[in-house]
Amino acid sequence: MNRKNPLPNSNPNSPNSSMQALHFLQALARIARAAPKPAHSARTRQIRHAAYASMAHSSRSSRRTWSRALLHRLRQWQQQRPGRLLTVRRRVRIVTPITSRPEEPARAETLRQLVPGGRGMEYCNLLEETADYVQCLRAQVQLMQTLLDAFSS
Amino acid sequence: MSGSLNGNSASSGGGATGAGGDDFFDQMLSSLPSPWADLANPKSPWDLTTGANAPRSGEDCGGYDESALLASRLRQHQISGSGSPAGAKPMMLHQMLMSAAGRAPGGGAGAGAGGAGDPSGFFPLPLSLGRDDVEGAFKSPNGTGAEGLFNGYGGGLPGAAQANNQPPFHHAQQGAPMPAQNFGGAAPNAGAQAPAPAASGGGAAAPPRQRVRARRGQATDPHSIAERLRRERIAERMKALQELVPNANKTDKASMLDEIIDYVKFLQLQVKVLSMSRLGGAAAVAPLVANMSSEGQGGSNGAGGSDSSLTVTEQQVAKLMEEDMGSAMQYLQGKGLCLMPISLASAISSATCHPRASASHLGGGPAAAATHHLIPPGPQAQPNSNNHVNPDGPSSPNLSGLTAQSAMANGNADSHKDASSA
Repeated sequence: MNRKNPLPNSNPNSPNSSMQALHFLQALARIARAAPKPAHSARTRQIRHAAYASMAHSSRSSRRTWSRALLHRLRQWQQQRPGRLLTVRRRVRIVTPITSRPEEPARAETLRQLVPGGRGMEYCNLLEETADYVQCLRAQVQLMQTLLDAFSS
Repeated sequence: MSGSLNGNSASSGGGATGAGGDDFFDQMLSSLPSPWADLANPKSPWDLTTGANAPRSGEDCGGYDESALLASRLRQHQISGSGSPAGAKPMMLHQMLMSAAGRAPGGGAGAGAGGAGDPSGFFPLPLSLGRDDVEGAFKSPNGTGAEGLFNGYGGGLPGAAQANNQPPFHHAQQGAPMPAQNFGGAAPNAGAQAPAPAASGGGAAAPPRQRVRARRGQATDPHSIAERLRRERIAERMKALQELVPNANKTDKASMLDEIIDYVKFLQLQVKVLSMSRLGGAAAVAPLVANMSSEGQGGSNGAGGSDSSLTVTEQQVAKLMEEDMGSAMQYLQGKGLCLMPISLASAISSATCHPRASASHLGGGPAAAATHHLIPPGPQAQPNSNNHVNPDGPSSPNLSGLTAQSAMANGNADSHKDASSA
């Protein structure tokens, strides 16, 4: 009840989104500076990583489990990318008993796969993390959409 | 076997309930119907095996399915609360009931189906321990057979069957439903309700006891309270998620979870698509903030004519913008400038927490660049005549440069900090 209910914050000018926007733009700047004319897929991937990184760095989510897991995942992606196309997930599952409680619905496993860091959480915390993750995702999508509209209209 | 029993009782959840159920049990046992009365002696539970056969041959075992639940709940309470000697009685009773109930699978199945129909149901059990709890437990059984049993037990059960058809199922949903072997499917209620925490090894007598123990313990001890709190928390969070996700049906949890999952997938897909589509123009937003200081110093040679050059640049950009935005962006990029909406620029500058920057840097109103805002390069720029860009003259480019540097520093610091913490 206490910290469980973050405000659905879709205001693009709030401090949270500002930090997120700032990080994203900086990342974009770095990308454009680093590789002036990269391949399409490479640039796409870089931008996507930049989006997720800026999400994870936003002020609201820096304390969250999913942001740390997302950063970890990003680092894995960036390290393994130059070699192969598909990276093999070598994460050790040490929390199997928790993730397979019969109490939770069947789709909880799907949700765990979607939300970064969802595998090690209880169902209760998973829902909370999902809410925060959805908020950040929405803010990120709005930000990207705004930029796209602004620069290509 | 008794050793395993003791172990099971230890593992059933150590809710230290009062020993107030003992006398209650005496009452109950004293008012037992006759074929069972002779079994009600505090001996080892294995004396029952002979006695248990008696009711099998009996005929009045039809309505004892719910009695099985009652007794199991009672016994669990007993076991968790008092210990073995008094627990022998409920164990015996329960065993009798179980064996009897094993002969009536149909009724038990019906009761079980009715009871297990709402696994997510959580009902407020009285939290007071001891006798009250026993009464509360006795409120739960479902069906008329339970009432019959209540009447049979006489005044020993003050809380006669109230229409509360949701027995403490929480642990039942946790564990897999107990194999019906013990009950013969007779009381799937009991079976589903009380997955024994310990392995239900041993003879047929041992698993019913474990099951009962677990179920009764949850009715009384803090575990059930914790479970209830957990459910409430889950419900709260589901509600919060419902507000976030657009299509909030509010129908049930399952479809809501599906909605949430689909929405998360959709958002992730949108991020992917947007990152693909941004390659053309927006990727040219290169030297937004980071490059300004470096490029400003690099381009310091244009000091003299940059005053007018800015105006010229503006006009040039305006001309280019009419034709094609992409070329305008490239032109700006070549000059080390970038274009951004004023709102975004104000957001960024306020985010960097630079009071001077926010005051002066973006003080200008949108004049020529209607919704856009030219950010001049680095500390180099002069007291320019573009009032709507830099009203403060020479200080503001420094500020913008500083803003850039501080922003970069903040950003790097944040990323470093987060990287170290991650």
